[in-house]
Amino acid sequence: MMPDATHPPARRAAALLGRMVLGAVLLGPILALLLHASSTHWFFPRLVPAEWTLAPLLRQLGDPRTRAALGASLLTAGITTGIALLLGLPAARVLGLRTFRGRSLVLLVLFLPNIVPPLAIGMGLNVLLLRLGLAGSIAGVVLVHLVPVVPYAILALLGVFARYDEGYELQARTLGANPCQVWLRVALPLLWPGLAVAALFAFLVSWSQYVLTLLVGGGQVITLPILLFAAVSGGNPTSIAGLALLFAAPPAVAIALAVRALAAAAGQPARGMS
Amino acid sequence: MTRARQTFGIWLALAPALAVVGLLVGASLAYGVAQSLGLLAILGTSQVSVAAYRDLLDGTGPAGREFWPALGFSLWVSLASTGLSALGALLVAAALGRRPADGTILLMLNLNLAFPHLVWAVALGLLLGQSGLLARLAAALGLIDAPAEFPVLVRDRDGLGIILHYVSKEMPFLMLIVLAVLRTQGTEYDLVAENLGADGWQRVRHITLPLVLPALAAGSALVFAFSFGAYEVPALLGVRYPRTLAVLALESFVNPDLRQRATGMALGLIIGLVTLVVVGLGRAWQRAEVRHDA
Amino acid sequence: MRNRLISLGTLAGLIAAIIAGCGSQPAAPTPPPAAAGKLNLDDWESIVAAAQGQTLNWYMWGGSESINRFVDEFYGVPLAERYGITLNRVPIADTVDAVNQVLSEKEAGTDPGAVDIIWINGENFLSLKQAGMLLPDWSRRLPNARLVDWDNPALAFDFGEPVEGYESPWSSAQFQLIYDSARMGEAGLPRSYARLLEWAKANPGRFTYIAPGPGAFQGTRFVKGALFELSGDAAQWVSHDQARWERWSPALWAYLNALKPYLWRQGETYPRDENELHSLFANGEVDFSITQAIAGAGPLIAEGLVPATARAFVFDDYMIGDVNYVAIPRNAPNKAAALVLANLILEPELQAAQILPEHGFGLGYAIDVTRVTDPAQLAALEAAQSRLGAAATPAADLAGALVGDAAGAYQRLVEDGWREHVLIGTGQ
Repeated sequence: MMPDATHPPARRAAALLGRMVLGAVLLGPILALLLHASSTHWFFPRLVPAEWTLAPLLRQLGDPRTRAALGASLLTAGITTGIALLLGLPAARVLGLRTFRGRSLVLLVLFLPNIVPPLAIGMGLNVLLLRLGLAGSIAGVVLVHLVPVVPYAILALLGVFARYDEGYELQARTLGANPCQVWLRVALPLLWPGLAVAALFAFLVSWSQYVLTLLVGGGQVITLPILLFAAVSGGNPTSIAGLALLFAAPPAVAIALAVRALAAAAGQPARGMS
Repeated sequence: MTRARQTFGIWLALAPALAVVGLLVGASLAYGVAQSLGLLAILGTSQVSVAAYRDLLDGTGPAGREFWPALGFSLWVSLASTGLSALGALLVAAALGRRPADGTILLMLNLNLAFPHLVWAVALGLLLGQSGLLARLAAALGLIDAPAEFPVLVRDRDGLGIILHYVSKEMPFLMLIVLAVLRTQGTEYDLVAENLGADGWQRVRHITLPLVLPALAAGSALVFAFSFGAYEVPALLGVRYPRTLAVLALESFVNPDLRQRATGMALGLIIGLVTLVVVGLGRAWQRAEVRHDA
Repeated sequence: MRNRLISLGTLAGLIAAIIAGCGSQPAAPTPPPAAAGKLNLDDWESIVAAAQGQTLNWYMWGGSESINRFVDEFYGVPLAERYGITLNRVPIADTVDAVNQVLSEKEAGTDPGAVDIIWINGENFLSLKQAGMLLPDWSRRLPNARLVDWDNPALAFDFGEPVEGYESPWSSAQFQLIYDSARMGEAGLPRSYARLLEWAKANPGRFTYIAPGPGAFQGTRFVKGALFELSGDAAQWVSHDQARWERWSPALWAYLNALKPYLWRQGETYPRDENELHSLFANGEVDFSITQAIAGAGPLIAEGLVPATARAFVFDDYMIGDVNYVAIPRNAPNKAAALVLANLILEPELQAAQILPEHGFGLGYAIDVTRVTDPAQLAALEAAQSRLGAAATPAADLAGALVGDAAGAYQRLVEDGWREHVLIGTGQ
């Protein structure tokens, strides 16, 4: 680290440059998508589009197939998130708070879906679900989504439980609170930031699944990623950007909610949120 | 509570998650191993053979000739992506963790989590390509006359475009994990350290890092595993040679010759094994770090 | 540690038990080849009756909004109105996804499966045929099959693999190049691979081609065309002859390596697919793109992928033409509806509609116009051909340059050899 304190202007310039690069890389692509979604025939060297049009975007929004896919996506991602939290909470709690024989092995098994690439397990999962008779249904799609989703939920909760002090729960119980009250009044407020992040990850990972949905959904469950990935394969920036923005709207709301939870957890009301 | 009852409680709490993940993945993995050994019901073959692994490791066969360069390239891309994402997440989270919460900044930092990797890679191309938005800006400012004069930022031979993608996409992810811990923790330690005269880097290194290391390390392991095993981004933002292991595996899966599936599966399992080794080494380093810090 | 090993063993045992349980399930017995389910193709009315009320799951590449709209409008509507069939178009990013679905169903012994019909050709057709998962012996027995010239080798062989009644044609395509008439005149266009090399030397960095490989057949096709020109005869490549390949392939690699330093980014990398090449072309990074559509650059202009001044053209010879098809999996749940669609696709008025650029599809006829006897239909087909617009290659140029594809075995030889000798090799 350079001796910052002695060169405040240089440090400020470096910080400003850093922020500009960060902003360009994190927000620049979103700007590019916004511009492409509302224009067509926009080629180098034109800095701004010559042909503005919202027709493709509106057509996309009005298409009953798109709306059906939006509904299917919300349904699968919502159910998956709920189940993933129900499965993840007890597991993350004992993994975070207890030391026991086989803990490393349990972690290994739980994170296996993230260690082995989807290419290697996708087809096996599909064959398994076909044999179980669950292919082609929302239930089957939710079940396979849980495979990549649960590890992310557990990861987010693990970080919180690792620093969680059970003493508060014990204290509340000593003071006569019942388990339900302990959970609602003590554990939940303490876990809230981690829980919000876990729900966000679960939702995002489920929301973005393409291959597993396509294979196990068998053409009967058509979610937004299936339309989006097909559009990407066509390479038309207007179609891709339009669908991408539509696709990103619900997760953006989820992110805003999680961020609000995080911000509130710091003891400050979140200001200036859109 | 007896010890036995406690153990029972632990396994009961783990059972649902283990059942869903362990059984589904275990069975699929067993299927993958069988395929990699040439047991392909789709072709009706039933002879166990390690030919797929041998052809890869000794460098014969079309996929084998590219195996070792692809392994090196994959390791470089994934290690650089993971390291830079973790460092960036730590620094940004440490800076934010001390501030009064600003929802807008947090939202801006995390907004790209709303886009899937494939779309983000397309968008990065639209921004940074030789005829992308930045290149057009450069042309408008008179800095370049033709796209070819703009520097190659994506689809470059060194994988920098892929690394840039993963850093921009995974840094917010890791930052959220770190922030979740910091926000649960409060900032007391940090303030004490500041009062004791520690400078910014010292506080990050000796206060924030040990605090968030378990969560950050676990998150980084996921980032490494993901970037090492996914093919969408390197296929889009990489060059045709060198390729990553995952792109090599993908090509075996789309090959019309179904016997290539064994090679694809073998590659997939090797990717998983290498990931395990790297993550294991990372854990060992993390333990050493904790001891060193204590 | 010992404890861990034990639990690891238990887990492995558990998994093995699951797999064994799965394995004990008998695989679907292969039905006798004569049967298309219980459907009788010689009694077409019975098939139309059986199809009534079925939902047809059509798996097709869904990357083009205009093609999606064309399919919904020109096939979805008549299927519903004339036959009472509901079209469920399943958009996929790559046809190989549909192939993998059918292969998984074979492994799991699932019958009926999920896929009724697939838009397919080339390597994906080969995969499913090799796996024995295609409905056999049906395409030549459709009522409209009489409009198809089954003796045409370009149609009877798909990437060199015999079609043999496993798939029915949808449309025809031919390899063409695209230039921008606002950037260069027609007189300056290279009309052969030899002239292309000269052009590239005079205009370094302004040309590139798609990297040959699985899933990027257009790149492979460009390289095969060079092989045809260098060897001076396309017909000799219709059958596989390893000695012939050994004799001519060094010249092919020499040609491509001579071209390499004058390519876009000096041949350091190549576009991965047609989209990337269109984008490079539209943004002025290179001066040529390619297309397979009979309507030339028209559909691409309508889609907004290339400038309105883009035009298609061909070399004087060795421009490979081929056909794309629909195929029905052996375990398709709604085979009758799939057969009805395959037959509908060959209706002359729909064939006439598919080539027009404004309908967004733009691929050529699969039927032989001379076999159409109805005067009104014949007139419609001929009128459509004259309305392809300025962005299409003139019909005479296309016909003059048309050659058939090489035998299927050359596909791998070209792709593997190109990676080794041109992409990775330092032959420059």
